[in-house]
Amino acid sequence: MTASKPAHVGFRAVSKTFPDGTQALKGVSFDVARGAFCVLLGPSGSGKSTLLRCVNGLATPTSGEVFIDGEAVTDKVLPQIRRKVSMIHQQFGLVDRASVAENMMGGALAEIPTWRALLGLYPDHFKTKACELLQSVGLSPEHLQRRAGDLSGGQRQRVGIARALMLDPQIIVADEPVASLDPRISQEIMELLRQAARLRGVTVLCSLHQVALAREHADQIVGLQRGALIFDSPVENLSDDDFSAIYDLEPLA
Amino acid sequence: MNPPRAGLSQETQWAYPKALSLKGIGLFCLIIAILLVTGRNVEMGRMVQLTASAVSVTATGQGESQVAQGLSKIGTSLWPLQISETTEVGRIEGFDRARLPWLAHIETRTKQTQTLNPDTLQMDSVSETAEYLVEPLGYLRHVAVKLVETLEIALWGTVIAILISLPLAFFSASNMAPNRLIYTVARSIVSFLRAIPELVSALFLVLAYGFGPIAGVLALALHAAGFLGKFYAEDIENADTKPQEALTAVGANRIKVLRFAILPQVMPQYIAYTLYVLDRNFRMATVIGLVGAGGIGQELKGRFDMYNYHHVATILVGIFCTVFVIDQLSARLRRRLF
Ligand SMILES: Nc1ncnc2c1ncn2[C@@H]1O[C@H](COP(=O)(O)OP(=O)(O)OP(=O)(O)O)[C@@H](O)[C@H]1O
Ligand SMILES: [Mg+2]
Repeated sequence: MTASKPAHVGFRAVSKTFPDGTQALKGVSFDVARGAFCVLLGPSGSGKSTLLRCVNGLATPTSGEVFIDGEAVTDKVLPQIRRKVSMIHQQFGLVDRASVAENMMGGALAEIPTWRALLGLYPDHFKTKACELLQSVGLSPEHLQRRAGDLSGGQRQRVGIARALMLDPQIIVADEPVASLDPRISQEIMELLRQAARLRGVTVLCSLHQVALAREHADQIVGLQRGALIFDSPVENLSDDDFSAIYDLEPLA
Repeated sequence: MNPPRAGLSQETQWAYPKALSLKGIGLFCLIIAILLVTGRNVEMGRMVQLTASAVSVTATGQGESQVAQGLSKIGTSLWPLQISETTEVGRIEGFDRARLPWLAHIETRTKQTQTLNPDTLQMDSVSETAEYLVEPLGYLRHVAVKLVETLEIALWGTVIAILISLPLAFFSASNMAPNRLIYTVARSIVSFLRAIPELVSALFLVLAYGFGPIAGVLALALHAAGFLGKFYAEDIENADTKPQEALTAVGANRIKVLRFAILPQVMPQYIAYTLYVLDRNFRMATVIGLVGAGGIGQELKGRFDMYNYHHVATILVGIFCTVFVIDQLSARLRRRLF
């Protein structure tokens, strides 16, 4: 297995104001150590997705910068950045009508010349890799030909994870990977993600709504509220009060 | 704690929208007014009156109706269909007596003609004998050949339309076009192509390419390219953006996103549009044949001008059958795809 070197991710005073005036992020700064599993917590609309999208350039900070191994994420270096950063999506981001095999190849598109991609002449090592990865996330050979839309939610997210590993990323950005799955499957998927990341040496940034899952799988917890960072510490230090503060709850009596 | 109470508090802002609003009633009146004015201009009143009298004359057998007379005249002149074909042997080039076409036989017919005898200045009855080749299904076969030719024109009109419309659709989809200028140019070309009816472009293309199928194919292709370009582009714009974003995040360029995230989504719709265009092209191919662009339309026009209404009837039935078959086939194909 080609374990790549996990990358360090740094956020420096990242702010994002959308054209309609919504302030999604307000000067967020924190660091994620190499190979750490960092979980973002925060109520809906607190800016978790926006922050994650700044890592691979799907969103551009209005001010401040994101650094990957000391290199700032700018439009100029986006192609290289996107090769290093894979994404896992809440709604899986798969093409429902296409086969699992085709969806897997989608994860390697950056490395496949356009003409080969158009003709479907995928390099053999990617075909082999797709099969290996699907096996490693617990799918079976008959799933290859199946339409992604015909799989269950849990199976789809397994494909999503396998796809994210196609190019041996140094960073995986996961935006609520288990938000539409039941508790048992959520647990399985988080374990899978955690295991894959550790095995391959990948830094993970993952937003979650389930505090229990965060406690169990995270190394580091980052709390956002209305776009501002209000908590950043190793998971051991997360107390019930911190949790209440993140979600703006009345402290439990 | 207050118990939950039915009814809204006095100072509430809540009001369920009314079904009939003043704006709605106004709009309704406006539409009725427009229909009344335009209906008068296109003589809808007279249409109803004429149709009604035709129906009553047919039902009761009393009175007179211009429409009923017209229709029955058409009916009687079309019936029966022309099935066979008879050709004078002398007019067939390189006629080979030993090898007659399928089911054909030779008949000798005598024709009486009245001519003025220049010596006697009397009308003489002269009987001429000529041999005729009679093919019992000859005209049917001729129509079938022409229908196939029309189908070929429609098919190639569709193929070329697809080839033209794919790049046009790419550049006239706002989420794919590289910049605003190219987008606007592509959109204008698509609108222009769609705005020119096949019949009009066929008139010009016949001047350029001469009579025959080339003009027909091009006329159909240009118009259909405008149609397909518009619908292909709209589907590209409306495709689910989540998979597109996922592939963008992977570092895929526009073309790869189109191929991997959009094409699988829009494919069934594209096939449906294309089948519709094939169907429409076949029907239009018969119309543009009227201006000499090949196919069954050209035959139809010829027969119509020669008052051969039995032949016309055969052609019409042939067209109907073909359209019906295409429709059935495409419905079956579509059901399998969705
Ligand atoms: N494209 C956009 N245009 C304008 N405002 C946006 C846009 N995307 C997000 N926002 C706003 O930015 C804020 C943060 O949104 P974001 O999606 O990052 O929140 P989130 O923490 O991911 O929420 P959730 O947990 O519901 O996914 C919200 O107020 C949202 O309405
Ligand atoms: Mg979100």
